Amino acid sequence: MKLGSNGVGRWLAASGPDSDVVISTRIRLARNLAGVPFLPRAKKSEQERVVEAVRWALNAAGFDSQGKFIDDELLSESQGQYLLERHLVSPDFVASKARRGLYVSVDESLSLMVNEEDHLRFQVLASGLAFSDALSTALGLDDKLESQVQYAFSPEFGFLTACPTNVGTGMRASVLVHLPGLVLTREIDKVLRGALHIGLAVRGLYGEGSETRGNFLQISNQKSLGQSEAEVVESVADISRQVVDYERKAREYLMKNLRMELEDKVFRSFAILKGARILSSDEAINLIATLRLGVALGIVNEIDLAGVSRLLILVRPANLQAMLGETLETTQRDERRAAFVRETLVR
Amino acid sequence: MKKCDLCHDNPAGVKVHQMDKDGKVTELMVCAECARQRGLAEVKPTKTAPVEVMAELKAGLQEKDAALTCTRCGTTLADFKRQGRLGCDYCYIAFRDELLPLIRRLHGATQHVGRSVGTGRKNAHVRLTTDRIRDALSAAIRDEDYEKAAALRDELRKVEDEAGQ
Repeated sequence: MKLGSNGVGRWLAASGPDSDVVISTRIRLARNLAGVPFLPRAKKSEQERVVEAVRWALNAAGFDSQGKFIDDELLSESQGQYLLERHLVSPDFVASKARRGLYVSVDESLSLMVNEEDHLRFQVLASGLAFSDALSTALGLDDKLESQVQYAFSPEFGFLTACPTNVGTGMRASVLVHLPGLVLTREIDKVLRGALHIGLAVRGLYGEGSETRGNFLQISNQKSLGQSEAEVVESVADISRQVVDYERKAREYLMKNLRMELEDKVFRSFAILKGARILSSDEAINLIATLRLGVALGIVNEIDLAGVSRLLILVRPANLQAMLGETLETTQRDERRAAFVRETLVR
Repeated sequence: MKKCDLCHDNPAGVKVHQMDKDGKVTELMVCAECARQRGLAEVKPTKTAPVEVMAELKAGLQEKDAALTCTRCGTTLADFKRQGRLGCDYCYIAFRDELLPLIRRLHGATQHVGRSVGTGRKNAHVRLTTDRIRDALSAAIRDEDYEKAAALRDELRKVEDEAGQ
């Protein structure tokens, strides 16, 4: 992984199933090492031991050739923001004062945080709605790690985690969906209530506490104990398929009954993106999100979904600055952002 | 009064929500005895968000919680209720009785289902079990309950023998 590369993760390529609605599928597993205190209790020396044990386990399992291990010293605040914007780390990880470690695969489909809330939190990201691929990759990595380190586990409570909300499978299965059709037709609340009713959680773009910018939402399981990994994944996949179906119906309705208004909205967004001289991060994200709807519906053909996804990541502050190789004040940043978007869209 | 849906004998006083594997919820009215026998007494639909459940822990803080300590890492039950985080894997054994109702509220279940094979995981469990027995053994010797100590020593040998095979 290179800081400042113009590329984005493979999971953003919009190559997976149902990419018109589903940006990505994510499987996250939380694990702790047996016999080492959990994070709130672990001394610095114990935290370092965990980092070394995981690094060693990853090397032994051959992961060093497919990615990079980043030490705590190299996880500066700007680097942390950059990784956060790319969905590779959590806000808590960036803010943490612990001795951290991070492994990221070259294609960014796999990332592993050491000493976040648990000793180990790793995630597999896949493009579109692709739970079976993501799950088997995550469990494969789990097996490889487990052959090198000893996990904290009990047959009664499963994988033991610092917070009992994650105990059991230690798994969070989620999808990142784009639902502008349901928002425009005001049907979104119904869908969200349905998901909440069956015990799933709905969150914004960057997880817990983040707002729902650009009509992007994350749907995930809340319970981690009492159901197998496959059962949890099936329930999240099931509701995801329904959401995809509802969103497509809403888009069809808009195309049939409100086509002019819809095209107007899409082309206005496109025009601002192509012409603006100053663009804040929030404005850019909202406009690009509307553009994404236009591309998914074939209203705009000048750019594809992968191009839109790439823009969505690279307009964010830390990624923009990393790409430009400069540290910029907000005003300068908004100008350079507008220039970058213009250059990408006007060719 | 309505009769219990399970034994069809005693009067039913406890409402129980039962979810089948398709997620369909049926409501049963059962008697207190059947509810207790089947461990259903505390079953409530888990509609509350986990963050809220964890936040309520702090409100339930009692003076005696400071006295219950994990012998492995020194975390007290009071620490856990305040911070919402356990100190080590052994805390799950030290605070098991307190954790059970909480876990049931959070997950609607108390028995892990899913991945469990693997030698690493098995060894970790054996270690936790032997630690638990050793702690109980020292307590029994301290209390001069030699009958109990002998039984625990046998149990410890059995677990260690099985693990060694």
